[in-house]
Amino acid sequence: MSAVLKPAQAPLVKLRDLNVTFVTRDRTVHAVNGVDLDVAPGEVLCILGESGSGKSVTLRALMKLLPKFARISGTIEVAGKDVTKMSERQLANFRGTDVAMIFQEPMTALDPVFTIGRQIAETVQRHEGVSRAAANARALELLELVQIPSAKRRLDAYPHELSGGLRQRAMIAVALACRPKLLLADEPTTALDATVQIQVLLLLRELQERLDMGVIFVTHDLGVAGEIADRVAVMYAGRVVEEGPVAGLMAGPLHPYAQGLLGATVHAGLRGQRLTTIPGAPPTLDVAPTNCAFSPRCQFVRGECVERVPSLRSPSPERQARCVLVQDRA
Amino acid sequence: MEAIEDRGGPAQPLLAVKGLQKHFPIKGGLLGRTQAVVRAVDGVEFDVLKGETLGIVGESGCGKSTTARLLMRLMDPDVGSMVFDGEAVGENEQAGGLPLRDYRRQVQMVFQDSYASLNPRLTIEETIAFAPRIHGLSGEEAVTRARELLAAVGLAPANFARRYPHELSGGQRQRINIARALALRPKLVILDEPVSALDKSVEAQVLNLLVDLKAEFGLTYVFISHDLNVVQYISDRVLVMYLGEVVEMGPVDAIYERAGHPYTRALLDSRPSMDPAFRRTRPPLTGDPPNPVNPPSGCRFRTRCPYAEGVCAERKPVMAGLGEGHIVSCHMASADSGHSKAGRLYEVPPPRAEMVA
Repeated sequence: MSAVLKPAQAPLVKLRDLNVTFVTRDRTVHAVNGVDLDVAPGEVLCILGESGSGKSVTLRALMKLLPKFARISGTIEVAGKDVTKMSERQLANFRGTDVAMIFQEPMTALDPVFTIGRQIAETVQRHEGVSRAAANARALELLELVQIPSAKRRLDAYPHELSGGLRQRAMIAVALACRPKLLLADEPTTALDATVQIQVLLLLRELQERLDMGVIFVTHDLGVAGEIADRVAVMYAGRVVEEGPVAGLMAGPLHPYAQGLLGATVHAGLRGQRLTTIPGAPPTLDVAPTNCAFSPRCQFVRGECVERVPSLRSPSPERQARCVLVQDRA
Repeated sequence: MEAIEDRGGPAQPLLAVKGLQKHFPIKGGLLGRTQAVVRAVDGVEFDVLKGETLGIVGESGCGKSTTARLLMRLMDPDVGSMVFDGEAVGENEQAGGLPLRDYRRQVQMVFQDSYASLNPRLTIEETIAFAPRIHGLSGEEAVTRARELLAAVGLAPANFARRYPHELSGGQRQRINIARALALRPKLVILDEPVSALDKSVEAQVLNLLVDLKAEFGLTYVFISHDLNVVQYISDRVLVMYLGEVVEMGPVDAIYERAGHPYTRALLDSRPSMDPAFRRTRPPLTGDPPNPVNPPSGCRFRTRCPYAEGVCAERKPVMAGLGEGHIVSCHMASADSGHSKAGRLYEVPPPRAEMVA
């Protein structure tokens, strides 16, 4: 795994002050409130957060997959291209070749009326303009790449004929059809059984290394992040509250929310002990938070926490957190 | 209406389940004939002891939720008997049985989907007071009890009693479901994936609550989950299911430290390592669990088992004891099964995931 960060290279993904607001007649939701993120080529970044933290919205903004009523502001650059200024036509070329996405539910992401082979070949034909025969050959190659047993036979299978694990592999094959530089993964293993989840995680890691892709992997599961991430960004209420290499974060998180999340994760050796919990619930985000959004639930809260948004502080070169308790050595 | 007194004494199992079986026919074709049978639960036997938490783990399709519904008698088993504290469930009283109405008063259930399991048109208070009223409490008493229970599950009655399910968060709704399950003062609560849909920080809150309530109300739990860490945390004994059958059962420490069945070992090894310095490099098992419509002959795990031999396809393994109530259904555990590693279960290396340092 590319554990060595490559700061000298131009980033594959550059997000600056990303804000996403959903405005409907009934309600306004400030889902993402000023996210800055970089991903280097060939790097795996995990966005870790609970439901409503804005992790999936951030991911979708990278591909402009948000609904029309979403108001997006800020800089979104992928592979040197400004995503915010793209026309629909440019987006159609951009999606699939530069960036591809895999989802939690392969059954809804795959088209039920076409065979797996046709869906992969269609993507190849559309983007690379090759003949149908060449596209079909590529489809077989891809099914073998994602380690689907008896791949030749499975080309003619419809999505409903496959098991959950195979369907997830087929969706990965569709996403990889045009060798994207960036793969976006939205909780792709959450719906899978334990013995299948580890298979798919290992497959993704192997493919990422072999194809040298950048990956942004959204998950709520710290264990999954530990298996696959180079770096982790923890999101809360639409902001990144902590960011750094996975080992450091799992060994000792800086932000009180990340500490709470790690403490609340049930693992072996806790039997008979009371579990640490984070009291309260996340904010509703009807208004954009103007202070530390975690302060109402934080046991270390101080006056300055409720006055303004804490700045990013960096105690060591690769790590940073948005908390006044963290010492800044930069 | 208070809790029904204990009858058989602490040594008698609260619930004894024998030979439980449920097959679902798949009908199709012009005449609607049965074309295949889903063998969802196929001969499951276990006891639930008084005051314990029995964890049931397994992957999708292993029959753990069907087992929960059978225990609750939300569906009738094809074959099998259930004895609740010495009385046969579903038989009439003259024959020494326990009618279903009385059984359900003592056994309650909490479901995974906290929203779908609450009536959207009833307030929280009405939802919790509903069952006590049906079972004979006056309206006023039932409401008083509902408010007591709301306080017991950590929701202030003044704030929550008059609200509707859609106004609450997932964690709060699950607390309501738990309060409703306790409204009849049951002895046994069946929890079917009660924390699976919750965020991690809320999951811990609900698990703490379940531990507290068990002590406060003297409850016995059957806790069903696919999350091995949660089951380890909360259970006294653990039962592992695979394709409708029990493959291993025993005290929680025995299962997690000395797992016998190759499936249990693989399941435990599929957990993320929680340490980025020691990542898995090879999955312990390949493929998905087979379809329960046509389960493999003999041992149902043999198609994914690294130690499968001829005998595994020919004969179904019998339950073998490993001491301290730890039982396992594997030919390698019985000395005379004909498997080349018979009686040497712990000598075979587990199908362990390899790791990198």
